[in-house]
Amino acid sequence: MRRWAHRTHLAGLLALAVAACARGERAPADGPIAVTDDAGRTVALAAPAHRIVSLLPSFTEILFAIGAGDRVAGRTTWCDYPPEAREIPSVGDGIPPNVEAVAARRPDLVVVYRSGPNVTAAEQLERLGISTVLFDLNRLEDLGPVIRRLGVLTGRRAPADSLAHVMDSLASEPPAPSPQSLVFIVWDNPPIVIGGGSYLDRLAALAGARNVFHDIGSPSAQVSIETIAARDPDFVAVLADTARPPAYATRREWRAVRAVRQGRFLYLPGTLFGRPSPRAALAVREFRRLLEVAQ
Amino acid sequence: MRWLILCLLGLFAVAAALAVGPAGVPLRELAGSGIVWDLRAPRAVLGFLVGGSLAVAGVGLQAVVRNPLADPFLLGLSGGAGLGAVVAIALDVSGPWAVPLAAFAGALLALVLVYRMGHVGGSGLDPRILLLGGVAVGAFAAAVTTAIVSLAEATALRNAFLWLWGGLSGASWDTVLVLAIYAPIPLVIIAAAARPLDLMTLGEEPARYLGADVEAVKRRVYVAASLLTAASVAVSGVIGFVGLIVPHVGRLVWGQRHRTLLPAAFLSGGTLLVLADTLARTVVAPRELPVGIVTALVGVPLFALLLRRWTIA
Repeated sequence: MRRWAHRTHLAGLLALAVAACARGERAPADGPIAVTDDAGRTVALAAPAHRIVSLLPSFTEILFAIGAGDRVAGRTTWCDYPPEAREIPSVGDGIPPNVEAVAARRPDLVVVYRSGPNVTAAEQLERLGISTVLFDLNRLEDLGPVIRRLGVLTGRRAPADSLAHVMDSLASEPPAPSPQSLVFIVWDNPPIVIGGGSYLDRLAALAGARNVFHDIGSPSAQVSIETIAARDPDFVAVLADTARPPAYATRREWRAVRAVRQGRFLYLPGTLFGRPSPRAALAVREFRRLLEVAQ
Repeated sequence: MRWLILCLLGLFAVAAALAVGPAGVPLRELAGSGIVWDLRAPRAVLGFLVGGSLAVAGVGLQAVVRNPLADPFLLGLSGGAGLGAVVAIALDVSGPWAVPLAAFAGALLALVLVYRMGHVGGSGLDPRILLLGGVAVGAFAAAVTTAIVSLAEATALRNAFLWLWGGLSGASWDTVLVLAIYAPIPLVIIAAAARPLDLMTLGEEPARYLGADVEAVKRRVYVAASLLTAASVAVSGVIGFVGLIVPHVGRLVWGQRHRTLLPAAFLSGGTLLVLADTLARTVVAPRELPVGIVTALVGVPLFALLLRRWTIA
């Protein structure tokens, strides 16, 4: 019963998200076009951005979701969703950003993920007179604030606010009861797992599966196989586009982990699960379906 | 007395490696526990073999190139191994042993290149050219590796570097078996050269006058040490400091005679790596530290202490 209630709620959120995206053009933005980014800088624009270079797949998805997709003038090689995004010229892999390639797109706004090398790139772009905004986007709860601020910068406040509201309510939802446990293994030698401070951990909790490394605060961490075996997860979740067991599954030391021994792998498609995105509610639903099928 | 202490330390290290771990197996159940038998035991044995091999390789190389800075990984092998691993991942070669085998092949390729370079000067192996060639080949391989990683689109490639920093998490009885069959051959080759290596500490010319076949010894020890290092990097990545510091500590404690120095280095290298790995697995549990960081954190202060004591005395 609880589970069912949970599901209808999710469906409602999905419908809301779709409605938010579908809502048409509104009156021009009210108030000044200025936001404070996650590096503490104030970014102000004279007019809503109309040539945007997005340097993270999540930002590209958000821009499309709030109806500013037609203003994206540059993307990274990793930006593959929505499909229309692939038609936009790429400015490279963005790690670190190729400042010249970005500038060549003559953007009036560059949206960058906040990290060491990216901060340097942002400073270089600012020196070229190109407005640059730095955002953190690691967890589900980061989505709302990012979406809201992108709404301000693009003059799409109304759709952005409703989408952000949907994301915020998803983020504040209590975790579903978790009868099952899992481990996210990102790499096998040395074993790297996803910890509590991550988007995937939260998705799993909402889908009704407990991440056995929830107690590790950082987004990911190196652990030993012994720890994984001792925590005995029911499933091993891997980000993979093909349902092929990872190569390490047949190595003897990994057979000590019950879920590996029994071949209980959950294959999470990278484009849906690999990054925080406005499709979070969809990801949770898909996650739940995969868990049910795997049982 | 020194031997007794070293053996006890070694036993203590292995016992600790078996008894403690993040899983918290009760002492009474140790013998029957799958975690101890399938994970801790092979890891301890592999750690001992790798640590010992790296230390012996370090002793041999330092004697042959007569340079205190010589480290098994200075000779381009880590670069070659890294390149091999990255190529295997980039080409999506599947199979549980693909990456270690490719790393081994890469290390061998680097070994052959450096060895050929070492002969450039004329008849014999020139230690200086060997060192420079090693650094050059290593740098070149690292550059190619970085180029592949930054140009390819596979996210998995970025993790190849993690693999290279390595550690002993790939340990299983399979890996132990492979290394236990492989390592004794180069170990024996180096041990058999103990006497001429003693002579070579006097310099190549005096060693030659005293009857050592210097060229043959250099070739044999260099190749054997490289083969040991290549196998170590294939099973456990690049574990630094063991092959650099243990030989020096060995010389400080046991003197210059290779007949005692080599077995002592094997035992202390093994002990150090097993201890370091136990710390790496437990101190920040449930997380784990890369073991190379622990060998440096444990090894360097120990080294500084010994250096100080022996130079003052």
